[in-house]
Amino acid sequence: MIVLDTLLIGGIKFVLRRIAEAVDAQLNDVDTLRQELLAAQMQVELGEMSDAEFADIEAALLARLREIQTRAREEGGDAVRITGVDVSVRDGVDDDASPEGAPER
Amino acid sequence: MSARGGPGRTATGASADAPTFHFFAGKGGVGKTTCAAATALMLAEDGHRVLVVSTDPAHSLSDVFARRLGGTPRRLPARRGSLRALELDADRALVRWLTRRRSTLRTIAERGTYLDDEDLGRLLRLSFPGVDELMGLVELARVARQGGYERVVVDTAPTGHALRLLAMPQTLRRVAAVLNDMYAKHRFLAESLGRGYRPDAADRLIEELETDGRELTSLLQAPERCRFSWVLLPETLALAEARDGVASLAASDIGVSEMLVNRVTPPSGPSCALCDGRRRVEGRVLAEIRRAFPRLPIRVLPALPDEPRGVAGLRAVVALLRRKAATTGATSPTKPRAGALPSRRLTAATPPVWTATLQALAPAGVRLLVVAGKGGVGKTTVAATLALELSRQRPQARVLLLSADPAHSLGDVLQAPVDDEEQAITGAPESLRVRELDAGRAFARTRERYQRTVEDTFDSLLRGSRFDVAYDREALRGLMDLAPPGMDELFAILSVIEALLEREPPVDLVVLDTAPTGHALRLLEMPGAALGWVHALLAILLKYREVVGLGDVAADLVATARRLRELIALLSDPARARVVAVTRAAELPERETERLLDRLRRLRMTVPAVVVNAATPPGCARCERERRREARWRRRLGSRRPRRAQAWSIIGSPAVTPPPRGVAALGAWSCAWEAAE
Repeated sequence: MIVLDTLLIGGIKFVLRRIAEAVDAQLNDVDTLRQELLAAQMQVELGEMSDAEFADIEAALLARLREIQTRAREEGGDAVRITGVDVSVRDGVDDDASPEGAPER
Repeated sequence: MSARGGPGRTATGASADAPTFHFFAGKGGVGKTTCAAATALMLAEDGHRVLVVSTDPAHSLSDVFARRLGGTPRRLPARRGSLRALELDADRALVRWLTRRRSTLRTIAERGTYLDDEDLGRLLRLSFPGVDELMGLVELARVARQGGYERVVVDTAPTGHALRLLAMPQTLRRVAAVLNDMYAKHRFLAESLGRGYRPDAADRLIEELETDGRELTSLLQAPERCRFSWVLLPETLALAEARDGVASLAASDIGVSEMLVNRVTPPSGPSCALCDGRRRVEGRVLAEIRRAFPRLPIRVLPALPDEPRGVAGLRAVVALLRRKAATTGATSPTKPRAGALPSRRLTAATPPVWTATLQALAPAGVRLLVVAGKGGVGKTTVAATLALELSRQRPQARVLLLSADPAHSLGDVLQAPVDDEEQAITGAPESLRVRELDAGRAFARTRERYQRTVEDTFDSLLRGSRFDVAYDREALRGLMDLAPPGMDELFAILSVIEALLEREPPVDLVVLDTAPTGHALRLLEMPGAALGWVHALLAILLKYREVVGLGDVAADLVATARRLRELIALLSDPARARVVAVTRAAELPERETERLLDRLRRLRMTVPAVVVNAATPPGCARCERERRREARWRRRLGSRRPRRAQAWSIIGSPAVTPPPRGVAALGAWSCAWEAAE
C-alpha cells in the first residue's frame, strides 16, 4: 500500500509540477515579450527610439505573442487540463523523473 | 543650512543673539505683505536690526515698499535701526544648496543604492514644483543667520501653501532618515571589512538635515522665538479660512499670537449704501471673529484712505499698529447704522450679458478654463459664477468646477457642502459638478496603489538584502506618508487629465479655480515639470530593468507621460484651453496681474479676458474717491493691452455687500456684470 501510495502520489506530484513548469514557462515567455514591448514604448517616450523602429519591433513582438497563443490553443485541446481533482496526462510518464523530461513548450 | 557653518552652527542659530521670527499668514489679498512690511518698519524704527522676507513665489514686497527687491537683502531707509528686505528666490536657493552638497549626495547614492552618477545627475537637474515650500524655511534661516539680524519678519504665501511651508521641517527629517538608512549599508561594510568606520561628509550632511529639521520645528513651536500674526478681513470667507488655518497650525503645535483684522470700514465718515452695508456686515463678522478666537488678542486696523505704499506710506500703518491697545479695547467700531440699505444691486434688472461674454471667454470646443489671479481678488466667486452661467447656457455640456487651491473656498462661496467627491449643487444646473480637490487624499490613494511596488523597487535598489543590514523600513514608509512638495499642483493636473482625457464620457469643460498667482503658475508649469520627472524615472527603470524588472509602475509611467504630453498640447491650444485673469482696480493686484499676464504669455497660454472685480458703485465721498482711483488703475490696465486682434478684453463686475454667496445670489450678481469689451 505504501509503495502504491508513494508511486501514485509521486506520480501525481510529478505531473502537477510539470504542468506548473509548462504554464510558468509559457507565462514567462508572454511576460518577457510584454516587458520587451514595454521597454520599447519607454524608449520611444524617451526619444531613444523612432516611431518607425518601434513599429517594426512591435510587429515582431506581437507576431511572437500570437504564435505563443496559437500554440497554447492548439495544445490546449488535449495537452493539459485540470478540473477539480481530475488530472489527465498526455504522454503517460508516471515516475518522478529528472527535470530533463520536462515537456517542450 | 548648516553644513558649511561647521559644528555648533545650526539652522536657526539657537543662541542668545539668535533672531526672533514674526510670521504673517492669512488668505490672499488680506494685506499680509502690507502688515509685515509695516511691522518690520516699526521694529526697525524702534532701534532693531530687522530683515523682512517674502516667501510667496508671487512677491508683493517690492510693490509695497515701492523699491525693486531681489534674492539678496536690500537696505531700506528707516529713521532708526536698520531695515533690509528680500524676496526669496527658491529656485536659486535650491541650486545653491545642491551645488554645495552635490558630491556628498552622489557619494551617498553611489554607496547606498544602485543609482550611479548619471542617474543622480539626471534627477538633480529636474525642476522641483514644490521648491518654494521645500527651500523657504531653510533659506530663510540661512539669510537670517548671515546678516546678524535681531528680528526677522516673514510675509508668507496665502494660507494653503503657507501651511505646506510650515510642514516642511518634518520632511527634512524624513529625508535625513532615508539617507541615513541608505548610508547604513556603507558603514556596515566598512566596519565588517575590519577598517573601522569614521564619520565622513555624508554623515555630516545627514546630521545637518536632521538638525535643521529638528531646530526649525522647535523654532516654529517656541512662542518666545517665533510669533504668528493671522491677518484677515472682516468678511466671512477670510474668517472661514482663518478658522481652518489656525486649527491646522495648532495641530502642528504652532500657536497664533494674534488676529489682525485689516481694512475695517471706519465707523465715522460719509454714508452710502455700500459703506453702510459694509459696516453692518463687518460688525457681524467681527463679533463672529471674537467668538471664534476667544483667547487671542484681536487687533482691528481701519481701512486707510490711500493704499499705503513706500516707507513713507507705510508709516500710516505703523501708526495704526502702535495704537493697537486702544483699538483693541474699543471694540465697536462697526455699529450698524439704522436704515443701512441691503444689497440692492443684487436685484438690479440689468439684462444678462452672458451669451456674448461666454462666447468670448469659452467658445464651444474649449475644454479647460483656468481662473487665476492674486489672492483675495475674488477668483473663486468669479470661477463659480462662470461655471454656473456656462452650465446654464449649455445644458447639454458636462461642466466640472474644480478647486485646486489647498485652502478651498468653493463650498463657502456656493454655500453648499463641497468636498473631494464631484457633486451636483442644489439650485444649480444638473449638468454642473463641483469638487474641492483633496490632494492629501489623492496622494494617499496613489501611495496605497504603489506601496508594494515601490517598496520592492527600493529593496532592489537599496542593496539592502545582500548584507542583511537592517535599514528602517519605517523610514521608507514614513517618506511615502509625507506629502511631497508640489503635491497640490501635481494632483490638480492629474485630476484635470482624468476628467478631460480619461473618463468615459469625458467632462466637456473643466473650470479650474486655482490657488493665488504664484502657485497657479507653478500649476500651469507642472505638466512640463512632471513630464521631466516621469522621463527621468523611465530612464532609470529602463537602465535597471534586469535588477528591478518593469512592473506596473513602468506601464503606468508610460501612460502618464502620454497623458501629460496631451495636456501640454491642450494647454497651449487657444481653441481648447484659456486662462481668465481676475484682478481688482488697485495698485497691488494690478501690478501682480501685469506679471501674471506676462508669465502666461511666455507659457503660451491664451487669455481671453481680464475680469476687474469688485468695482465700487457710485456712493458717498469716500466711494467716489475710490472710484476715481479705480478708474485710473483700470485705464492703466487697458493701456497694457497688446495691440492685436486676439488681445484680451476687460470685463467689470461690481462690489456688493454682503458679497454674493450661494447659487441664487451669484446668479443675481452676474446680472450686474459688464459685457466683454
